Amino acid sequence: MFTGRLRRSTTLLSVSALTLGMVSTGLLTNSASGASATPGVTKTSITIGASVPLSGVAASYAPVSGAANAVFKYIDSKGGVNGRKIKYIRLDDCYDLASYGLGCTAGASVTTLSQNQALVAQDHVFATVGSLGTAAEESVLSYLKQNGVPQLFVNSGSSAWDQPSKYPNLFGFQTSYQAEGKIFARYIKSKYAGQTVGFIGQNDDFGANGFLGLQDGGLNIASANQLSYNAADAITGSSSDIQADVATLQTNKVQVVVLDSVPGFTAGILTVAKLLGYSPTWVISNVGADPTSVNNVGEAGAITLDYFPAVTNNSDPWIPWLRKVLLADKTDFPTFTSSSVITGNELYGAGFAVAFAETLKAEGKTVTRAGFVKELKSITLATPSTTPLKYSSSNHQGLQGGVIATIAPNGSLAPVKALLTNTTVFTTGNDKKSPIKVSTKLSVSAIPSWMK
Amino acid sequence: MSWWTTLIKQETTRSRVLAVTLLTLLTLAITFILPPVADSELAGGAAIAIVILGLSWLIGWSGQISLGNSGFMAVGAYAAGIWAHHHTTTPLLFTFVLAIVAGGLSGLVIAIPSTRLRGPYLAGMTLAFSAAITPLAQNFTSVTGGEGGLFLNSLVTPHWFTNLFSGPNAAIDANAQWTADLAVVVAGVMFFIMANLFHSRVGRAMRLVRDNEVAAELMGVHLSRTRTMAFVIAAAFAGLGGALYSLLEASVRPETFPLTLSITLLTLMVLGGIGTLSGAVLGGIIFSFSATLVAHVNSLTGVNPTSNVGANMQGIIFGVLLIVTMLFAPRGLVSVKNPLRRLFRARPLMRSAKEVH
Repeated sequence: MFTGRLRRSTTLLSVSALTLGMVSTGLLTNSASGASATPGVTKTSITIGASVPLSGVAASYAPVSGAANAVFKYIDSKGGVNGRKIKYIRLDDCYDLASYGLGCTAGASVTTLSQNQALVAQDHVFATVGSLGTAAEESVLSYLKQNGVPQLFVNSGSSAWDQPSKYPNLFGFQTSYQAEGKIFARYIKSKYAGQTVGFIGQNDDFGANGFLGLQDGGLNIASANQLSYNAADAITGSSSDIQADVATLQTNKVQVVVLDSVPGFTAGILTVAKLLGYSPTWVISNVGADPTSVNNVGEAGAITLDYFPAVTNNSDPWIPWLRKVLLADKTDFPTFTSSSVITGNELYGAGFAVAFAETLKAEGKTVTRAGFVKELKSITLATPSTTPLKYSSSNHQGLQGGVIATIAPNGSLAPVKALLTNTTVFTTGNDKKSPIKVSTKLSVSAIPSWMK
Repeated sequence: MSWWTTLIKQETTRSRVLAVTLLTLLTLAITFILPPVADSELAGGAAIAIVILGLSWLIGWSGQISLGNSGFMAVGAYAAGIWAHHHTTTPLLFTFVLAIVAGGLSGLVIAIPSTRLRGPYLAGMTLAFSAAITPLAQNFTSVTGGEGGLFLNSLVTPHWFTNLFSGPNAAIDANAQWTADLAVVVAGVMFFIMANLFHSRVGRAMRLVRDNEVAAELMGVHLSRTRTMAFVIAAAFAGLGGALYSLLEASVRPETFPLTLSITLLTLMVLGGIGTLSGAVLGGIIFSFSATLVAHVNSLTGVNPTSNVGANMQGIIFGVLLIVTMLFAPRGLVSVKNPLRRLFRARPLMRSAKEVH
């Protein structure tokens, strides 16, 4: 018994010693790294990251961050920003649907959270810039906030990015679905006064916010339907509700239909409508209207909201500039030629990349997270968008409107001639009470000279 | 009997406390050395180990086959999620208790009709429960948040812990490690509870019911009550594991707990060793590093991740491991004392029921 007790206490002592040894080694290793105060920032570089769908169900959005990368590479080739090269790390999160497979090459157990953990804890990024996906980005809000990492220019129209008091370092980029809904309501009421209006939306934030916007805009919706679906089905458009919803609208003789659906569903709905011989006026949310993604003949003539100038607009200096930038990036755009069509995805990516670079430039030599966020809220940004991009203490959403455009038969977007003027720009806030401002002036800002 | 055997067999409460404390301390020490991403994987493995523990209890010691554990995990996780959705902050202990209670209750609900069933019929019943979870979560949008799911706030690292770290990445490292350490401690506590349950009257009654119903009834052990109790305990463990897993993921969604997870849990349990505590630990470890394992196998064999083979690599690896284990070490990897010797030893063609367990 004496031997037993002695042996046990020896074990306990040696395990404790071993434990203490490992703990102190671990602590010492942890404290030995890094020289700069701000993570991701050195004298000659700044590292940023994004969790984006590079493969899998939403891979069609990959050119968005690709274009952003192209912009950063172009700026780096000219010496970077204040002597710092921008290093953009894009990790594939498969739209946070890796477990569904469907072409995802990142690995079945990858999640948006795990990729953001890698970006923050391994790559020590300064901020996440242009991460994509509503549900995907909502899942990392609290993680990024807890670790003090700014979440910039989230690619999604959800109003969740506009919470300045709760998430002071969180910023969106595009016009919210709600604001878009208000603008659609205003346009429909003026152009299609007296006609019956219907709605098909997804049973998530997208559909709910869009519908709310339509109601805030005072539109009387005769027939509203919600699509229920499984996340992965959204891309293939295989909701079982499509047939029933479209048939209901046809039976009720609805003349104008608003769609708040991703491209897969939009294509499905348009196809079913064609089969049923139903052709109302379609008003489709920007997110679900990209002609290259929807690729459906029934879309020609449909109305949507465009945040960027039409690619055929020759007076806009950003279009040839972007062409030059994309041509220079053979890694991300290997098949892009001088006659290739620039899509909305690429304009979008360039939009937020330019916003990041400009804010960084304005901040000057010393770069900190707090300083960057402060600069972002005060600076007037020069970007390709049709409405001004201006953040403030009360606006973390980003763009606040756009141009009503129509989808031409060849798949390009052309601004619609409004009742009285050539091009009408609508801007409004997320708030129900925020009024809709109408202007005929496209805010095409000049390209900053250092970026040209 | 040497002190080491006493520690392993854990026949006294004191040796159980010692064994669990030592193991927990050692694992905590390891978390200090691992990089933050590996810490997160370990934390996930700890949560899964708790679930496997409950499953091992149910299948190994109570003899009731259950494919419903992913369902019980979901119940615990959603209970935690729904509560967090309506309350800005919740004490962690409360979340755990809530998950245990919710899991236990759902175990009771499933157990009442199930204890009449045996074998494949019981398996089918529990399978139906697991399969129902995803559609239920998707459809009751107002409660479960539908497809988007619910979000839970990240665990808050206490200041005294963050102060242990220094350097520019102190906060990030501290946060990553706190979650891992918390998961390990919770797993340690649950292992201690399970070790005690095993040696208690409840545990002995369960094993008796499993082995000999007639003898059990003669001893005054109530058959269906004991079986139900087994289910409730297993479900409570699974509920806690599920809630912990969701806390680590900071979200709970319909696809977090699919039916295939039930099968994975079963596989991990068999790989580790049915009815053993160390088997559950091993199962958890295999789970945590399965992603890295799959990536390595993919790069070694040069398989394209998007091809049919590549996409299902995890299933293939687990399947192969399962077959190999059942052939050479049916009691699981923990029972392998001398792998080479086992290979060459003559194997009896018939196995008694006890040995298969």
